[in-house]
Amino acid sequence: MQTLGVLGVGEAALVSSLREHGLALKADEMQTIAARLGRDPTLVECHAFDAQWSEHCSYKSSRVHLGRVPTEGPDVILGPGQDAGIVRLGAWQGESYGIVVAHESHNHPSQVVPFEGAATGVGGIVRDVLCMGARVIGLADPLRFGPLDDSHSRYVAQGVVDGIAAYGNAIGVPTIAGDVFFGDGFRDNCLVNVVALGLVKEKDVIHSRAPAGSAGWDIVLVGKATDRSGFGGAAFSSLVLDDADAQANKSAVQVPDPFLKNVIMRASYRAFDVIRELGLTVGFKDLGAGGIMGCTAELVASGGFGARINLDLCPTTQPDLPAAVIAVGETQERLTWVVPPSFTSRLLQIYNEEFSLPEIAQGAQAAVIGRVTEETEYVLTRYGEEVMRVPIEFLTSGIKYDRPYAEPEPQIRTLTMLVPEDPGAAKVGAEWGAAELGHNSGRQAYHNFNTLVPFDDDLPYRILSHRDVCSRKIIYERYDSVVRGATSIPAGYADAGVLVPIPGSPLAMSLSLGGNPRYGAIDPALAAEHAVVEAVCNAAAVGARPLGLTDCLNFGNPENACDMGAFVASVNGLATAARELGLPFVSGNVSLYNQSANGNSIPPSAIVACVGGLGDVSRSVTPGFKGPAHQLYFIGEYTGALGGSVLADVAGLPPTNLPNIDYARLKKTLAALRNGIEAGLIYAIHDVSDGGIFTVIAEMAFATIDGARIGASVCLDARRDGIPLEIGEAGAYFGEHRGFIVEADRGFAELLAEDRLIGAVVGATHHRFDLRVGADVPVRTWKLDDLYESWSAPLRDFYEDVPA
Amino acid sequence: MSARVGSANVGVIVFPGTNSEEETVRACRAVGLEADAVHWNAPLDVVREYSAYILPGGFAYEDRVRAGAIAAHDRLMTAVREGAAAGKPVLGICNGAQVLLETGLVPGFAGASGPQAGFARNAPSGKFRSTHVYVKLTIPPERCTITAALKPNAVIPAWASHGEGRLAGGAATLARIAAGDHLAFVYSDARGNASEAVVPNGSALGAAGLVNAAGNVLALMPHPERDAWTFNHHDASREAARGDAAAMLKPSGGIALFESFAQAVRQWS
Repeated sequence: MQTLGVLGVGEAALVSSLREHGLALKADEMQTIAARLGRDPTLVECHAFDAQWSEHCSYKSSRVHLGRVPTEGPDVILGPGQDAGIVRLGAWQGESYGIVVAHESHNHPSQVVPFEGAATGVGGIVRDVLCMGARVIGLADPLRFGPLDDSHSRYVAQGVVDGIAAYGNAIGVPTIAGDVFFGDGFRDNCLVNVVALGLVKEKDVIHSRAPAGSAGWDIVLVGKATDRSGFGGAAFSSLVLDDADAQANKSAVQVPDPFLKNVIMRASYRAFDVIRELGLTVGFKDLGAGGIMGCTAELVASGGFGARINLDLCPTTQPDLPAAVIAVGETQERLTWVVPPSFTSRLLQIYNEEFSLPEIAQGAQAAVIGRVTEETEYVLTRYGEEVMRVPIEFLTSGIKYDRPYAEPEPQIRTLTMLVPEDPGAAKVGAEWGAAELGHNSGRQAYHNFNTLVPFDDDLPYRILSHRDVCSRKIIYERYDSVVRGATSIPAGYADAGVLVPIPGSPLAMSLSLGGNPRYGAIDPALAAEHAVVEAVCNAAAVGARPLGLTDCLNFGNPENACDMGAFVASVNGLATAARELGLPFVSGNVSLYNQSANGNSIPPSAIVACVGGLGDVSRSVTPGFKGPAHQLYFIGEYTGALGGSVLADVAGLPPTNLPNIDYARLKKTLAALRNGIEAGLIYAIHDVSDGGIFTVIAEMAFATIDGARIGASVCLDARRDGIPLEIGEAGAYFGEHRGFIVEADRGFAELLAEDRLIGAVVGATHHRFDLRVGADVPVRTWKLDDLYESWSAPLRDFYEDVPA
Repeated sequence: MSARVGSANVGVIVFPGTNSEEETVRACRAVGLEADAVHWNAPLDVVREYSAYILPGGFAYEDRVRAGAIAAHDRLMTAVREGAAAGKPVLGICNGAQVLLETGLVPGFAGASGPQAGFARNAPSGKFRSTHVYVKLTIPPERCTITAALKPNAVIPAWASHGEGRLAGGAATLARIAAGDHLAFVYSDARGNASEAVVPNGSALGAAGLVNAAGNVLALMPHPERDAWTFNHHDASREAARGDAAAMLKPSGGIALFESFAQAVRQWS
């Protein structure tokens, strides 16, 4: 049997032999392994540890920090630790229902082979939800791409959308939410995050662990026959992306098969029914990073057991695949069960006969590959020989680093520090610098800012056509958001997607996202807080009560103190926001090494998803105007900060501070929304984010129902409304104030009057399809048809231009 | 999965890759029909017992070759063909409609065997697109047993969610479809106005649905079952149901086609 010489081998020789075998483990990590085993490891063991101790599997750089994030709460059925988290949606006909949620990244593969990378990202997250015993009911995809004038970024942006569409549509799971941001920082490393949702009765949850007393039970592998694809995937995801390596690493990317997955899902649903009828407790887990080895080891280790797996019994597409490839290769569309032997033949019958897997794809099947053992060793055999025998806890508990980090220095420069006493002397863009700092306040600051960034007639078009504001319709129409027939608010219709998952029940759930890379680049900690708040506000905008959060933390190289510092700061930001709002994180993922060979790291990108609940779907709210002569309110908090805003980008302002978050005020705002909805006073809500109040009101007009053409008048008065003067008129209308625009009855004003701080009327809807601004006569008017074209064109033209 | 002989029951045929069976069964049950999802390896004599069939949406056999091409030759289609010949109502939705055109059951010109027209890749994008649409009944309702209980010129909301939904055929074929009253549904706006602007996929004749010569087999590209409850809608009916859970959970909109289908099934059985 082949072993790797470690003991008594010099560091240089070890480093070169690790490289020769394509192993990403560091020499000192390998020495730790050999020392613990008391011998040179076999090649299979090397590849097993390479996967299991990778950043991707072990969270070795991040684990010491993740514990700070709150994970408990009254709505939590299952917190982080297994393949997905579960929050309690509510009870219906005496049964408590949970929403399963999982959140992952597939960034590295998507940068190299966008279609397959994104498709297998969807495929993987779906299995994470499925294996909790749930019906998979929804998907969402937060995406970050490089600028579309860059040819590779165009290729990535096109392929990723195609891949998500091809996979999600085919398996019949609706994509109900998503977002897309573009920026230079994602040129070399795109981000493809995926969120999946499931529905499960609380009493029917299946855990991803071998149950108590399961020693001697069968380990059953289900799905696609193992092939050479996806060998080294976990290690690949934990490396800095290098162009040459990227080409060589294409074989590390897995091959998607949504057709087979569609059948495996349906067969697994059938298995759930039978398991419930028989009253069995079983274990079920998805095969992801580390393949058969990673899945089975974690499955039995979390139950306190060991395992003995015979690799000869694993169905393969060709004879004599190397043991290491069978053990850790990441062939897609596979899951593993731990079941009592009395049930095994029934389980095999469901997959192999009732749903005829072997006829669906060559070699696909369910097969017994090993058994759970009492001894706490993890053993793999091939051709009658033990090719791996290691203490299982040593294998699965991985390693942990407390890496040095440098606290980021958030951008604290404010606008008043930027705007000079004499605005005539100011220069726009990069030429703005510390030398020209001035300190202003009051009317002078207002005047100065208006001179520098005038609210001219063209500004609304420049904001609405901005890459981070313009319509995403051309993308979300590529995704099936209504399959399963349970969709109440599809992707793109509102700030969150809404499903009515239990037929006959008014219980509904929302899924929304938050995370702004323009903010991340300026202040990672506060950006992470904003990501939580944005996801929560998006849920509130459809009338949902937030139940739980997930995160995907996408960062650069943890071995770089600045990148690591941004990560640590972001975790702290998430924890602060979650604590303030009393919300738990129930699931999450960390993606590090989003850095290219030339040292460019992505902007710190903490991306948050929020699962919300509505007791009654008839209380859901959409953003489209519902009628003329309704009042428009802004409720929330006006900010004097424009850092990270679309306006700052469009005006070429240098980085300044981000808006602060006043949690007490935010909670009052959310309560006012809930009360307004409960009282039946609210027609429409839209969360204010990218592009500010003007943009939000235009989008509400674009979203009117039944082709109605309803416009609005809006007047923001800095003095009356308490808008900070230093952001001028443009900042009032396009600043990213934390809050909501609400179309409501007059009664809402009375409800707000109890707390005048929260909000006030800022306008009204009317029967002309235009947007009127200001109190002076004549008011300034923009035709909504013109604004719509400006908003619709950029991405539509891009995605329609690219040849199929 | 057992068929109940003599009752108004519907076999919803599930091929490998089908993905819309659940909501299709639910829509049938909402209009008082008994319905089962019938999997691809069900015994043929069991499948033969059903009074009617629905071929639901999805990607049967992965859309290999082209959408519907393999499923048209599936073993279960024997029962569907026999049923169609005997006059049982057969409704194909989306992928099911593609299968029906591949079998040649629709438009089913006299004397023709094999496919006579097809649903080709969407134009101009060539891509899958999912968008809300309305379809308008363009034949006299009684021309098709499945639409017989609809009002003349009925407008039904639905979702067009497909990559291959553009009716394509030679000029003679298209003329024959129009002349033979095979063009059952066209795309329209909410008020029933048909125009090129509302056709989501470049379909010839603005076609959304075709019926066979005998009038018992209907191939419809958009999905009425995905806009079949008030909570699915984004129109005045949703606003009217605000704060009223019972109204929000009521079948409406796209369910109209299933109500008419149910009448056809009851009449046959």
